[in-house]
Amino acid sequence: MGFVVTTLVFAAIGILASLCARICCNKGPSANLFHLTLVITATVCCWLMWAIVYLAQMNPLIVPILSEGE
Amino acid sequence: MEVLKNLPEMDLMRSEKMTSVQLIIPVESAHRAVSYLGELGLLQFRDLNDDKSPFQRTFVNQVKRCAEMSRKLRFFKDQINKAGLLSSALPTMQPDIDLEALETQLAEHEHELIEMNANSEKLQQTYNEFLEFKMVLQKAGVFLVSGNKSYETTEGIELDDNVYPSDYPESASLLEQATHSGPSNPSGLRFICGIIPKSKILLFERMLFRATRGNLLFNQAPADDLIMDAVSSEMVEKTVFVVFFSGEQARTKILKICEAFGANCYPVPEDFTKQTQITQEVLSRLSELETTLDVGIRHRNAALHTIGFHLTIWMTMVKREKAVFDTLNMLNFDVTKKCLVGEGWCPIFAKPQIQEALQRATFDSNSQVGIIFHVMDAVESPPTYFRTNAFTNAYQEIVDAYGVAKYQEANPAVYTVITFPFLFAVMFGDWGHGICLLIGALILIAREGKLSSQKLGSFMEMLFGGRYVLLLMSLFSIYCGLIYNEFFSVPYHIFGASAYKCRDKSCSDAYTVGLIKYRDAYPFGVDPSWRGSRSELPFLNSLKMKMSILFGVAQMNLGIMISYLNSIFFNNSLDIRYQFVPQMIFLNSLFGYLSLLIIIKWCTGSQADLYHVMIYMFLSPFDDLGENELFWGQRPLQILLLLSALVAVPWMLFPKPFILRKQHTERFQGRAYGILRSTEMDTDSEPGSARQHVEEFNFSEVFVHQMIHSIEFVLGSVSNTASYLRLWALSLAHSELSTVFYEKVLLLAWGYENILIRLVGLAVFAFATAFILLMMETLSAFLHALRLHWVEFQNKFYGGDGYKFKPFSFAAIADDED
Repeated sequence: MGFVVTTLVFAAIGILASLCARICCNKGPSANLFHLTLVITATVCCWLMWAIVYLAQMNPLIVPILSEGE
Repeated sequence: MEVLKNLPEMDLMRSEKMTSVQLIIPVESAHRAVSYLGELGLLQFRDLNDDKSPFQRTFVNQVKRCAEMSRKLRFFKDQINKAGLLSSALPTMQPDIDLEALETQLAEHEHELIEMNANSEKLQQTYNEFLEFKMVLQKAGVFLVSGNKSYETTEGIELDDNVYPSDYPESASLLEQATHSGPSNPSGLRFICGIIPKSKILLFERMLFRATRGNLLFNQAPADDLIMDAVSSEMVEKTVFVVFFSGEQARTKILKICEAFGANCYPVPEDFTKQTQITQEVLSRLSELETTLDVGIRHRNAALHTIGFHLTIWMTMVKREKAVFDTLNMLNFDVTKKCLVGEGWCPIFAKPQIQEALQRATFDSNSQVGIIFHVMDAVESPPTYFRTNAFTNAYQEIVDAYGVAKYQEANPAVYTVITFPFLFAVMFGDWGHGICLLIGALILIAREGKLSSQKLGSFMEMLFGGRYVLLLMSLFSIYCGLIYNEFFSVPYHIFGASAYKCRDKSCSDAYTVGLIKYRDAYPFGVDPSWRGSRSELPFLNSLKMKMSILFGVAQMNLGIMISYLNSIFFNNSLDIRYQFVPQMIFLNSLFGYLSLLIIIKWCTGSQADLYHVMIYMFLSPFDDLGENELFWGQRPLQILLLLSALVAVPWMLFPKPFILRKQHTERFQGRAYGILRSTEMDTDSEPGSARQHVEEFNFSEVFVHQMIHSIEFVLGSVSNTASYLRLWALSLAHSELSTVFYEKVLLLAWGYENILIRLVGLAVFAFATAFILLMMETLSAFLHALRLHWVEFQNKFYGGDGYKFKPFSFAAIADDED
């Protein structure tokens, strides 16, 4: 799967998670905004981590050189 | 900007709105009102009698009485513990016991207990003496019989009935009546029997020998049982001795020496029949005393038992009363002496509840006058109050440990809930270890109810308090472990086949030139082919260092954005224009540009050296880039960014102090004439008046402050960005440790065929993983993630110089005591 597709998957998971949070714990507008912030922060952090590792491997400058005894 | 202002308030983002209130309470309902407020726990009283010593306050007598009662309760608790009884509290809540009645009850109980203790002590002492007497009779009798016979034969003198009075001072022995110093033969051979601790016997003997110049016969025999020594109140070994001597002077000397050495002398009749008679009497007295002692102890235990039922309730009551009186001491009497005036802080949402509690107090105390509760202005800034639940409480405490937020400034805890476990996971990333942490966290959460009521050790308490933090840390660790592709340092092909393969079928140059990439990048995480290869470390190091920089720049930008939110909230456009904007420009034109270069290099696969790009951007910006060119237009862009960064520094340094000075003179220019006209009015100063006194504007101080702030930001932007490299360092350390334990312990041990070596290897691997990786590395990563938050993230926006809201609450007192 390409970069864009997986990014869209992350976005979809984030939206799904915020909907779940809204359904499960609906405790007023201020609490809802707080839960939304938490979900968005978590989604962004996880996506950033994945994206960095993916981008780094897209056009690598070095390749694995097996060591003796592999 | 309008959108941001119209967003609804977010929970936990800013402190609850607080208001300063004043209470005017008539005296008859004061105690009840304060008790009800204590139960509610939402009002923080201000101490209006700060300058008075504890003895000058109004309710000092009541406080003293409460202290006395709690002393008595502590005494009861001690006694119960010493008696070894388990205190079982009655679960039923009793109706409010009057404090006076409780006081008299406690005094009675204490008196009773003290009496019982004194009696049983006396009895115990008498019992010990009789026990010693019995032993002396047993052993000394042997000597005397033999001695008697020998002296009769050798000396031929009939020895008198020599029963000697015992000289020890604490004697209450009834047998003393039977003994009186009869007219003893002054030149006859006499003896003294006694008992002395075994440790002193040698010295004793030598002393006696010297004192009587050798004219004595000393016999000793160890006692059979251990006896309670009255002086040291522990069981010691004692020795029975008999001293034969002649002469009155010798006798006085010996008795004095006995007294000095703490030896107890007992009268032992020489005659054998009399000995048996006295032994019988002593034995019967001993059994009597035993029964009496037993009865006494049982009686005392019964009394303690009844006390023990009510002890916890009484202790809570007394603590509450003391707290109520301490709070009453903070209030002032008003002029008419019929009302108490108090001031405090309370959250605005709590006002109806407080008013309801006060009304209840008025009603319950049958007072004619209601309690007045109204809002008042205050000079000082309000306390900070966040309403947290069990989940957010741990994070709020983590933030508060660095500094409590100023009133209504943005609370970093909102983002810390997610970013702190995430940064921990970046440093800890191994989904095997993450699963272990998850199991631990789930156990703690599952036994939440049981553990929260128990009293835990300090380490366990911290661990239990942070169970939700641990849960999130473990979940993110599992995620990061899947990305780093490490399960106890072993990679797996969970997300498909590797993107690398040998160049040809024979894989001949896999060890020299390496594999080639024949497909798209591995879809999720690090490709499993990297593990164990020779070029693993160069690749992973490059990846993780760049990742750390990217996370660092992202989090620092978030910090600056939060400072922007603060400026909007406090309507501080000066800060926005002369602090937020130049800070953003400076940070992003240098390190944001670096992040951009990293991403471009990854996307294009260019061979440019980013170190050189950044260095030459500063050293020779106008030179041709050559092979370091990553995109078209890079050189002009770099020149532009360099110029913006250079402009941003004086932008954040100079304008703000000058504008502040101009504002200050404008504000007080009009006021200056007003002050000249109304000097008489300046003398009235109500307490807590909101009138702002004219402040001195010290320009040099403001300028230096701004300069320090700017320099800190500029230099800090470099050092903070580099500080984020600890994400790389710790994750490398974790990965290497994990690899070492796996390869050099487990694989090594598994290589042997012997089952014992395999088991030993497995055990060593398990211990090393548990203690070094799971405990030490967890603590280490926790600490470094904490530092990144406290310093690198929070110094972009956090003031942290507020004070916490500490309401008067009975629940808090109960927690304090524990």
